[in-house]
Amino acid sequence: MPSGKSNAEAIDVSWARGYARQALSDLRIREVLAAENAEKCHRLHFLQMAAEKACKAHLVSQNGHENVRKSHAYIAKNLPLIARHFYSLGNSNASIAQWEIEQIRVLAREIELLAPACDDGDHRRDNSEYPWEGSDGEIRTPCEYSFPTIDDGDRSIVRLIRLIRTAAEAYSH
Amino acid sequence: MSELETARRASKLETAKRLANAHFQVEPHLKFVCVLKPLHDQDPKDPIRLLEVVEGTIERGFEPIAFAADPARGIDYPVVIIEISPEEYSSVQKNGPVRFGNHDWDLGEEIARA
Repeated sequence: MPSGKSNAEAIDVSWARGYARQALSDLRIREVLAAENAEKCHRLHFLQMAAEKACKAHLVSQNGHENVRKSHAYIAKNLPLIARHFYSLGNSNASIAQWEIEQIRVLAREIELLAPACDDGDHRRDNSEYPWEGSDGEIRTPCEYSFPTIDDGDRSIVRLIRLIRTAAEAYSH
Repeated sequence: MSELETARRASKLETAKRLANAHFQVEPHLKFVCVLKPLHDQDPKDPIRLLEVVEGTIERGFEPIAFAADPARGIDYPVVIIEISPEEYSSVQKNGPVRFGNHDWDLGEEIARA
């Protein structure tokens, strides 16, 4: 029914807008936390949440809200695809776009693993929210952990944050 | 200005130069880096602001991205990076101050790839 389809599309747009706006809000909080030298777990947590919601905004707009799984495992697969979409459109130089997408791909996997629900088949229990038991039996606490596999002081984070903002803003109106 | 303040000022600018050189190592499309003024040397909590000109970046205006201080790696101040394209930089040079966060910032020392 045409009117039913139109209503479903409007609902999907609303969901995408909601995810996008929350992603932008998460990024704003990451900025505040970084400026105030908050613990790394909190800076990474808001980066992970922003990345996840930007991915969901994109997927909902493309596939519909009902077809987007309720999972945290979106970032590693979808962020590089979103990067390809935005960078290839906004950049006439293919080698630059390729460089940007490769940087995003490397970061996206590590950021996805920051969510407690994403543990790489129980191989990676480190996460930005809850204490976990290390392989040596010691209990690790996020606010005291160094997260050695991801450097949020690295220059490449600039690229990632700009991508998340670009994607989120595209779906926020 | 006291000797201590002078030392701090030099340290802040030196940190900016060291960061810029580190960024040149990892970002092949970074053309040059401009340190924004004023540096507010007396306030160690006030970030160093680097305007980084990157070939091919998406043009989105002035979009500050914050980084925490990292004393373990010799970065004693928070840092803000604003990435813009060469075309955007040309516009800044013609039209005056960089505006973000309800403040105007002037172009300071320009650091080129060594």
